Parts: sequence; structure tokens; C-alpha cells
Amino acid sequence: MAEDLNWAIGGEAGDGIDSTGKIFAQALSRAGRHVFTSKDFASRIRGGYTAYKIRSSTDRVQSVVDRLDILVALTQRTIDENVEELHEDSVVIYDGERSWDAEIPEGVTGVDVPLKSLAEDAGGAIMRNVVALGAACQIADFPIENLDESLEKRFASKGEKLVENNKQAARLGQEYVEENYDDLPEYSIDTTDEDLVLLNGDEAIGMGAIAAGCRFYSGYPITPATDVMEYLTGRIDQYGGTVVQAEDELSAVNMALGAARAGARAMTATSGPGIDLMTETFGLVATSETPLVICDVMRSGPSTGMPTKQEQGDLNMALYGGHGEVPRFVVAPTTVAECFQKTVEAFNLAEKYQVPVYLVSDLAMAVTEQTFRPEEFDMDEVEIERGKVVDEDDIDQYLDEQDRFQPHYDAADGVSPRAFPGTDGGAHMSTGLEHNELGRRTEDTDERVNQVDKRNRKVETAEQEENWDYREFGDEDADTLVVSWGSNEGAMVEALDFLDDDGLDVRFISVPYIFPRPDLTEEVEAADEVIVVECNEQGQLADLLEHDTLTRLKRVNKYDGVRFKADELAGEIEAELEAEVTA
Amino acid sequence: MSSDIRFTDFKSDKQPTWCPGCGDFGTMNGMMKALAETGNDPGNTFICAGIGCSGKIGTYMHSYALHGVHGRALPVGTGVKLANPDLEVMVAGGDGDGYSIGAGHFIHAVRRNVDMTYVVMDNRIYGLTKGQAPPTSREDFETSTTPEGPKQPPVNPLALSMAAGGTFIAQSFSSDSQRHTEIVRKAIEHDGFGFVNVYSPCVTFNDVDTYDYFRDSIVDLAEEDHDPSDRDAAKEKILDADKEHQGVIYQDEDSVPYSDLHGLDENMAEIPDGAPEDAMDLVREFY
Repeated sequence: MAEDLNWAIGGEAGDGIDSTGKIFAQALSRAGRHVFTSKDFASRIRGGYTAYKIRSSTDRVQSVVDRLDILVALTQRTIDENVEELHEDSVVIYDGERSWDAEIPEGVTGVDVPLKSLAEDAGGAIMRNVVALGAACQIADFPIENLDESLEKRFASKGEKLVENNKQAARLGQEYVEENYDDLPEYSIDTTDEDLVLLNGDEAIGMGAIAAGCRFYSGYPITPATDVMEYLTGRIDQYGGTVVQAEDELSAVNMALGAARAGARAMTATSGPGIDLMTETFGLVATSETPLVICDVMRSGPSTGMPTKQEQGDLNMALYGGHGEVPRFVVAPTTVAECFQKTVEAFNLAEKYQVPVYLVSDLAMAVTEQTFRPEEFDMDEVEIERGKVVDEDDIDQYLDEQDRFQPHYDAADGVSPRAFPGTDGGAHMSTGLEHNELGRRTEDTDERVNQVDKRNRKVETAEQEENWDYREFGDEDADTLVVSWGSNEGAMVEALDFLDDDGLDVRFISVPYIFPRPDLTEEVEAADEVIVVECNEQGQLADLLEHDTLTRLKRVNKYDGVRFKADELAGEIEAELEAEVTA
Repeated sequence: MSSDIRFTDFKSDKQPTWCPGCGDFGTMNGMMKALAETGNDPGNTFICAGIGCSGKIGTYMHSYALHGVHGRALPVGTGVKLANPDLEVMVAGGDGDGYSIGAGHFIHAVRRNVDMTYVVMDNRIYGLTKGQAPPTSREDFETSTTPEGPKQPPVNPLALSMAAGGTFIAQSFSSDSQRHTEIVRKAIEHDGFGFVNVYSPCVTFNDVDTYDYFRDSIVDLAEEDHDPSDRDAAKEKILDADKEHQGVIYQDEDSVPYSDLHGLDENMAEIPDGAPEDAMDLVREFY
């Protein structure tokens, strides 16, 4: 663990915590160090405690741990909130000249740096966080030149002078520590030549959308999905697309539906409260067989819930939301890199099978900036499959005896031909009413049954044609099987090491497809113990897997609003296994 | 787009189930005529509709169409038009669809000024649910759910549109085929959001706002010396609650539609079969 560095900056919302943290994360990433970040924040613009935490290593890191090596504390609360994570080699950087008297926990080294005064020396008090970054570089023995590039990237648009001032501020912080503290706990972190990119799940979804040919995005800002919209704004335009800010989520999903009817690859992204509204239109999207990607970046519910907290509570809504019965696909990426890949896949699935696809991510993934190798976002691998689109030349074979196009033609595989508006001879309507092959209202019993069966047949076709696989880690032959979905993968992969240290072999299956999904019957039967890990109270994936496998499964659930940490998760799994022994 | 398109080409082979004498027949005929007169054909026309008697229009017309959920036809039309600017997009709705459940979208569609046409069949009654009060009914209009009248003033859709920055505000009467067609045609030709509130009487459930009532009370702006580009004059007409006006009440001749302001002129349906050529630039941004 010597190569790890766990660093954080905390203060009040409005203190520039997030941007400072990101500057440091970027500096580490550019120095070839893997980074995994997390944020503690409240839903308010100013005030309240907020922190940006970075775990960094020369190996891939995928989780936070209960450990802080260097903490930049702009408030006493920052220290108090993190006291459990500080250890005997921890260093707390604080500004003793400020009005509060820092209480440094016993055994922890306090480093008093006049952040504000030094920042003023460099050109302005606003740079005090950058002074702290310079101090942190000195303590971590991290070459400060790495910070320079990051500062350039952040401040380049604001002029050379400001960039130079910031570089100077960092150096003043570094020099202050160097001159005034010579007996600090020793950290020495390596840099590497590795090329790494640093991004979060929302950005990866946005990038995946552009790669997949998405041209139309409509949305309404909501935490934690807004980053998808902000990412696409200004970028999708470069590729002939647009972002429309709708008046509400009802409108957002209907705009996207309209664009999709016009033949564009369209998407909207929101969080639980927005999905509630979009559910009104969901059945129409599905029954009119319109390809649409609806992204739900889950946050804690119900109702307004805890808007800035983690939860995976929307699985049932994605699967069952809306009245009546109609197929939809539910895809849930398990890593930030997968947010990119699965977004591309979601667009292909939507168009090939003419279904709405719920792309379900979660807050932990959305706000985590994490390093990846650029190859994991391989644009050459992107293939766009549009399904059964017909044009003027081949439309004749899809017309009925009266030369009318049949948008809901009862095809053997369930997938009807699709004619984009503007195609001569393809004029047709579609409706949320039950309809016949022409897309016209029907209450005829045979036509009703045919259309329901046809829509369901698309699922059967997709189940056969597509690869609904899972990702697997750990020991394939272990007696204990852990299954999870969404962002828990990273913590669970690292938890395997902790479990291994305690002599426990575990097989871990991470499921990115919720519907259709892999059949885990054999895997469950092969294990003595099966534990399903998820960030919700009821165990929504566990319920599904119990239903699939007709087996009672154990559950580890976390619903306090905070993502799993690797060491904590390992402990929970061990406790769950022991509970069985003593029962 | 062929030049020999007749309005009957926009008729589907499906017979309307509207009550005999319903104003919606005239409203729809005018829409079809206006579409033909403006050089459109069924292959490039997209009709969006919501729920209610008005919502059935997509079935009776021959074109591309989506019959959606209640009140959301305008957002659908917005998406269609922005995704493919070559399409002629016409949104149809009723007074409930547009001014009650969809009122929020109406205001914002007006503000957004997307180049499409919105035709509201205003019969001042909920017909499909057999006679309840919509937002445009009179304060004392007695219905099954408002036995003593709604006791609320009716909304003034024209004023809503003006307040939201409408660039084309018009009103017509379904029975006056020639004028109605002409007004819808002007709405289609307008560069921006062309809004036409159409008096489209319900012969079954509304015995107050009848054909006779409208015939007697309509004041045609064509017969007055009204200049639609005069905003103040338009406001005066719109706020004159005692008169039922017919005609183009306001038109901003400098209107610039949303697509022009946002540089949208491509058909978004056309995409390559892989990621864009320079897509790795997007990844490099994150170094």
C-alpha cells in the first residue's frame, strides 16, 4: 500500500473544493498515476461541508478506502468529519491564521500553512487552495511540475498572468513546508509514463452518445445527471447535433421521442424524479416501437430523497415503471469506462429492436472522476447498427395490398420495417392506442394479441441474437458467489483482495444487463453461498435473481446514501457468511 | 416534393368518427388544403396530435404522424422538426390538450419559436369524455362536473401566446373554409411558431358556443383596418374579451426560428456507420 496516496480537500460549499480537487486529480493522472475520486457534498450552493477525495496509485484503483494520508482542511468540520480516516502518518494541512483554532486529533501531524497570506503574496487570496496543493506536493514528494500542466489546463482561458500566479502560489506553499517542517511522515509517490485519461460516468455517457451517432439530446437539469447534458452542450453541435433544454422532463422525453420518430438517434438523461415524469410517455415510446435511450442516473429516493447521495433504488422502476405491459431493455454499466461502451450498445439495441432502452447509472459513478487507459474508449470499435430501416428503393416489399406502409408489420422476428419521415411511400402513423400493422387504432381481439405477441417476440429475438453476458472476477471455483450491479463493481473487485487476505475465496459476478439479463441458475447452483450486493434497502436485483434461480439468496444492502468502500464491503460479506454459521 | 399534390392526397382511407357536423371536419380540411397549397406532400409532412377528439386527426390524414399522450404533442413536434428541418411539421390539439394539461408546453413552444404550425381545435368543451368544462369555457358554463359553471375566467390563449413572445398569433373559424385555410396557410408560411386557435364547434355537448353563435359574433380582421405587424393594435384586439376575432392578429415579420438561431439545418437521421472520424479528440480532452 506504500504506493497509494489518499488525499482530500474539504471545506464549505463555495470554497472551490471541487475544482481544486480536480486540479490535483488531473496532476496525478498526467503523472501516470491512477486516480479514483469521490465527493462528499450537500445540495446547496454555499455553506455546508463538502470534500473532494482522491485515492491514487501506480496500479488501477477502483474504490475509496477508509484512510486519509494528506487532508487539506479549510474548516474544523472537515477534520471532524474525517477523524476516523486519519492515522499516525496522516498530515492535516490547515491555515492557522484563519479565525478558527484547528484541533488536530492526537497522533496526527498538523501542518500550519498561511494559505491566505501566501496566496495574497502570489497575487490574490482566491488562490489559497492552490497554495495548499503546493504544500501537499511537498509532503507527498510529488514533483510540482506535474501540477503546472494541470493549472495551465484549468486557467489557460483566463490568461497567462493568472496561470503564472497560480504556479507561483503552489511554489510558495511548497517552499513554506520545505522551510518550516523537516520531520514530517515520509511519503514518496512514483510517477509513470502511462497515458491516462480522467473522466466521470456522466462524461463517459455523453462521449458514448456522440460516438454512437446521437444527434439529439433533450433534458432538464437534475442532479446527478446534469453533467451528461453539460458535456454534450457545445460538443454534440460539432457533429451536427443539438442539446435542447426542455421546460420539464415530460417535454424532454417527448422531444426526444419526436426526434427519434424523425430518424435521429435521440437520448434524454435524468434521475429518479425525472423518470417519474417520463414514465407518462414511456408506454407510448415502447408501444409505438420508437428507439430511444433514456438514461437514469440514480440518486437516493423516494421523492426528493437525498439528491446528492448514492442509491440504486430505481431498478424496479426501470423494469416495471408505467401501466400496462410492454417490453423495454435495461442496461446498467458497472464502471465509468463501461458507461461509454454500454451507451454505444444501448443505441444499437434501441434501433435494432425498436425499443426504449433504460441506461441506468448511479450517482457514485456519475461524480467519480477515474483514470482509464485511452484504449478503453476505442472509437474504432464503435459500430453503428440501425436495424431494419427501409428506403424508397426497397419500401415496396413492405406495403400492404393497398400500397400502405406497415410500421408494425407482424414480422417473424417481431421487428417491423422502419421508414423515416421524408421517405416516399412510407407515410404512416403510430399511436399509443393499441394498433394494427398499419399503426391505426384497433380493439380487434386478434390484432391486439398479435401486436402484444409481436412486441414480445422482439425480446426473444434479442435474447438469441445478442450477448447478454456478465463480467467475472475472483476464483471461478469458489464456494462463495457474490453478485452485484452498477458501480459496486470497483469496490467489490478490491474487496476480493481483503477477503483473500482473510483466507476467503470468492467468485464475483458483475451484471451489466438487467433486462434481458444473463441466466445465473448454474452459477448460483454451483455455489454454497450466494450474496447479492447492492445500494438499496430491498435488494431489487436479489429479488430478480431469486425469481430466476428459484433459490433464496443472501443480501448485503447499503442505503445510507454513501457508496460501498472496499474494506467495508469485505467486512459486510464476511459478517453475512458468519451469520449463516451461527444461525 | 411534387407540384401536382391535391389536398385530397392528405386524406387517409379511414372515415372520421367525429360526430356529424363537428367543427373538426372543417378544421382538418383547411389544414389539408393549406398543406397542399404550400407545396407539401404526405411524404414530407409530419402531424403530431395528443388526446381528445382533436387527437384523432393523425388517423384521418395521410402523412407521417404520431398520436401521442395527452398534452405533449408540442414537444413531439419540436423534436421532429429540429431533427429534420426538411419536414413540414403540424401539431394539432384541442383546448384541453393545449391549454390545460399541455399549457406549460404551449408557453414554452411559443417562446422557443420552432418553425412549425400549431392548430388548436377550440370547442370550449371536453367532448370525448362527454361534456366537461375546459379552460376556455365561460365562467357560468354548466357541465356535469361544473353544475354552476367553473366560476373561473376562461384562459385567453391568444394573450398567453402574446405574453410568451409569440411571433404568429391567429384565430379562425372552422366553418369559414376559405378564411380558415388562408390563415393556416399563413401560419405554415411563417418563419417560426405559427399558432392558430380555431373555433371548432362541438355539436353534441356545447349548446352555447355554437355555429350560430360564432357566425353572429365573429369580427373578421380582414374587414377591419388591422395591421398584424402592429404589436400594440394586436394586444388591443387580443385583450378585447367581448369580441371573437378571426384573422392573423399578430405577426412578427422579423421572426427568426429556433433552428436558424442554433444553426440546425441538417437531417439528423443521417449518420455514419461508425464513430465520427475525429472522435478520439473527445478522449484526448480528458488527458
